[in-house]
Amino acid sequence: MEELSIRSVLNEQRIDLHLKGQTKDEVLDEMVDLLFKDSVLSSKEQFLKDVYYREGEGITGIGDGIAIPHGKSDSVLHTAVAIGRSDHDLEWRSIDDKPVRLIIMLAIKSVDKTVHMKLLSNVATSLCQRDVIEQIFVSEDKQEIIELFEQKGGKE
Amino acid sequence: MRIVGITACPTGIAHTYITKQKIVEAAKECGFPCHIETQGTIGVEDELTAQQIAEADVVILAVDVKISGENRFAGKPIVRCRTEDVMRNTVGFLKKIEAKLNSRK
Repeated sequence: MEELSIRSVLNEQRIDLHLKGQTKDEVLDEMVDLLFKDSVLSSKEQFLKDVYYREGEGITGIGDGIAIPHGKSDSVLHTAVAIGRSDHDLEWRSIDDKPVRLIIMLAIKSVDKTVHMKLLSNVATSLCQRDVIEQIFVSEDKQEIIELFEQKGGKE
Repeated sequence: MRIVGITACPTGIAHTYITKQKIVEAAKECGFPCHIETQGTIGVEDELTAQQIAEADVVILAVDVKISGENRFAGKPIVRCRTEDVMRNTVGFLKKIEAKLNSRK
């Protein structure tokens, strides 16, 4: 039985707390690059295309300065999460019409019925919790951020 | 107001669960008993029971894609919307439904 740990989908290499991109496009590219360099993707271009496809289907800015761009794609080798934080506001279509600073990118393997999917949905749910949001915006410690999701992962 | 509902989104991994969480929290704030079923990539979770549906005053379908089992709600007031409509101002959304239901009585 596979262990239900956030660490199977998230590691320090996939976290960047000071994104360089100045626009949504630049930041999406930067984060897809994080995933590609960490061997999550077979094709950077294809995954980026799938992320933009999902952007077209609806709003990914979930409020409170957070966005959750994601893609379900054949180019995803294994389901994974990347976390990026920017030091400045990014223009992003958002449910509260506010700019975004924190981006949680979900890379979802096309055919994945494993425990990883549950982990990703737990990450999404955690992003509604005030204490998680507060900490993730200020922490400079990548391990601390991983632990934040680890603690919340098993709970409803 | 007793609420039952279903959330579902295109990828079935993010908005489905965020919307559920937002509804559950807003319902708690308003004091509305609430049961939400998710229809995501990993399948149906927290499936609504016949009793929960029977007791409900309203059915909220916050769905961006086709869902299964809608026939369970026959005869119930149904509010159908997109996930992002509910996420936007969930408490306000629920209060508006309550006001509408009350005005019908």
